[in-house]
Amino acid sequence: MTTQPLLTGSELFKLIPQRAPIVMVDTFFRADDECADTGLHVESSNIFCRDGELCEPGVIEHIAQSAAAFAGYKPYTLGEEPKLGFIGEVKKCKIVRLPRVGEFMHTQLKIVGEAAGITLIAAEVYVDEETIATCQMKIFIQA
Amino acid sequence: MEKEALIEKINTVLSEEFEVEVSEMTPEADIKETLQLDSLSLVDMVALIDSEFGVKIKGTELVQVKTFGALYDFVHERM
Repeated sequence: MTTQPLLTGSELFKLIPQRAPIVMVDTFFRADDECADTGLHVESSNIFCRDGELCEPGVIEHIAQSAAAFAGYKPYTLGEEPKLGFIGEVKKCKIVRLPRVGEFMHTQLKIVGEAAGITLIAAEVYVDEETIATCQMKIFIQA
Repeated sequence: MEKEALIEKINTVLSEEFEVEVSEMTPEADIKETLQLDSLSLVDMVALIDSEFGVKIKGTELVQVKTFGALYDFVHERM
């Protein structure tokens, strides 16, 4: 992913409800109807960092907030407020290694199913070209 | 793919994913009841059919796919 981001830093607040110190996505590259790309610079000040690494809950929270940003992007383009979303389930989560302070996590999201108001999203997290985590999340967006 | 082979494959992937005996998947059986799907797990079946057979079931179409027989027909017609 080398394209210029659409939104960075506090601009992401237009897409997600979280605020410091629990903001776990700082870059929004792109989105279409099925896919989105987000990112996070891992900093030592991050509350989920321990011993120079972003611990597992931080990785999962990053994926969750990436999904929230994905869901919030379309309303944002229409000039609407982001809708409230809930995580229904986290499944098939695999963390190969923890991202280190100074690294940039790039996350690709893809909608793999939708039914009864529930969206199943598959996420893959990279550092450079290395896949460090994958998981699926079920998201419910309030109408 | 021949319809009989398709039915067998659908039953196999659903059986493995939802841990239900293939013998319970009769054409007239209700999918949600047989696979014990709730509103959260229904999307798993939709994603599985898409990934295994390349067939998307939209929300509006899902109401028509209530039985296994309807599911076999739906997937077969779109492959």
